Amino acid sequence: MKLADNPFFVLGVTAEASRIEVEREAQKLLGMLELGFAEARTYATPLGPRERTAEMVRAAVAALRDPYRRLVAELWARHAPPPRAEPAARQPPAATRDGLRRALGWRP
Amino acid sequence: MYALPYLLLQRLRQAAINARRRNRTGRYLVWSVLAGVTNAALLVLGITFVVLLWSLSLWWLALAMIAVLVVPVVADTLVRFVFVPRGYHRLAYHAALYSRPGTDPPAYALCVAAWASMNGTAIAWVSAKRETRRPLGDAEVAATAFLTATRGDDATARELLRSLEMIVEDHPAVRELAGEWLACDAAERGAWHELLDHAARARWPITPLAYLLEGIAERHTGAPAAPGATELWARWALAPRHRATYALVVDALAIAPGARVPPGSPASPEAVNATEAAAPGAPEPTSLPRAVAAHLAFEATPATAATLAYTVRAWDTALADAATRSWLARRALELDAPLGAAERALRDVAGTVTDDLARLAEAAQLGAPPDVGGPVGHGLARRLRHGRLDALEAAFSRWADRRHDNTQHPSIDEWRAFIALWTAYNAAVAAGGIELRRLAFPHAFSKGSNMAAWLWNKREEYALSHAISKWLLSEALVVGDSEAIELGHRNCALAIPTRLGRIQT
Repeated sequence: MKLADNPFFVLGVTAEASRIEVEREAQKLLGMLELGFAEARTYATPLGPRERTAEMVRAAVAALRDPYRRLVAELWARHAPPPRAEPAARQPPAATRDGLRRALGWRP
Repeated sequence: MYALPYLLLQRLRQAAINARRRNRTGRYLVWSVLAGVTNAALLVLGITFVVLLWSLSLWWLALAMIAVLVVPVVADTLVRFVFVPRGYHRLAYHAALYSRPGTDPPAYALCVAAWASMNGTAIAWVSAKRETRRPLGDAEVAATAFLTATRGDDATARELLRSLEMIVEDHPAVRELAGEWLACDAAERGAWHELLDHAARARWPITPLAYLLEGIAERHTGAPAAPGATELWARWALAPRHRATYALVVDALAIAPGARVPPGSPASPEAVNATEAAAPGAPEPTSLPRAVAAHLAFEATPATAATLAYTVRAWDTALADAATRSWLARRALELDAPLGAAERALRDVAGTVTDDLARLAEAAQLGAPPDVGGPVGHGLARRLRHGRLDALEAAFSRWADRRHDNTQHPSIDEWRAFIALWTAYNAAVAAGGIELRRLAFPHAFSKGSNMAAWLWNKREEYALSHAISKWLLSEALVVGDSEAIELGHRNCALAIPTRLGRIQT
């Protein structure tokens, strides 16, 4: 699922944002990225933070200018869990016993 | 006069070992103890005789008697505790030859040498020994598996050892080693259900170590016949590697019998969701957020049939939900989207979701969930079935083309190629159900029966050919292909020449 690339998450705006708000946020992000602001280089998604580039910002704005593509993007963004700025917690590994086979006399 | 008690004890020891090989119950312990006692008695008798000869200044005869009476009794112990750990593959081979492992001692010796192999030189030596033994049988396949494991390819080693159950040639000592490797491997991965499943299916003779690991697995899985503390400690005492297995036994005994949930009844997402929904004050989740949340959870955790079914149902419910459709229609109007945008958006979302779930299901070798009727469920079933069928047909055709490429592949490579296909076929039919099995079988039968005939007539690989014919027959019986059943019965009725004699199944 391309939820991480959803234009609303890339731009860091809500799914209710108006077209003007979207354009303003995109211009601000492009400026910050050009000046090398660290906080602009990542964005929060329900899957954890992702890296943001100027190309992604331009693509996101273009997507939200198209009514159909905005409709699909809204469908995902409105119903997704809230974005998370922290990486997802890793699942605990299965209860394996590394080295047991060797301890029992088998290789490797 | 001295030889008679020795020979009697030896026969008694072999009878105890043979009886033990037929058992997986408490009698196993009794026969093992009897085998151990007779072994000790043989050793005492042999040493006494040697000392007697030495005291009579017949040292040359004493040395000969050491070789004849003492070495065979201690050879297996030397193999397991000295030659294999130190990687003395040649010594392990010769000691195994001397250990009286039954008919065809080089078969067992080959496997032991492969077990002891630590480096490229040893692997080359064992491979060369294997190539001199034709046609291929269970020992050559097992030895190849052990060498593959030494190279670090555990997955292939596992498949090769599992494939032994299809080979009609049966060296009990070889099967014991194969079963022990599989048990140790499963224990290392914590795959207790797999360990028990394999033990139940293969029904091979079992070593004391594998017997202990099976008992531990039964405790972990809450099996009704799981051994109690006394029996488990008895198995532990009987098995080698006490230090390594002590913690396993303690862990297993800490589990109350029947406490673990068997596979197939995990805490289902439905149950979790129901609990969450029932929590006081929790908002009623609508169908679309539930579907997205289920999808994210499915991506983030190891995929299972239950979580896949839950995710598919959640999506089909959400996409058919009147609330979703009316929200989409209203937003399409507000955004001034083109006519039919709402329906198109639903189709696009269904397609994206199906692609994503199909990719994850393929990776986890899962089949489409049964009894799902929405666009995602249908799309997923179609995608998985067609993709797997195409891949299987292409692979069977490539396999059959090996006959015509003018290259004489080693017999073990022919077997490995078949095992890779057999694994892929089993995974596909397990995931795709009887419908995919019926579609896949005719092509598999056409190519497989040609290969079986070629292996029998041209390559004289009788056991391999018979294994393929037997597998095709079992599949033909499942799908009800009468022509294939008739041919399969004719092929499987042929007597198979092996090193253990001609075998009629």
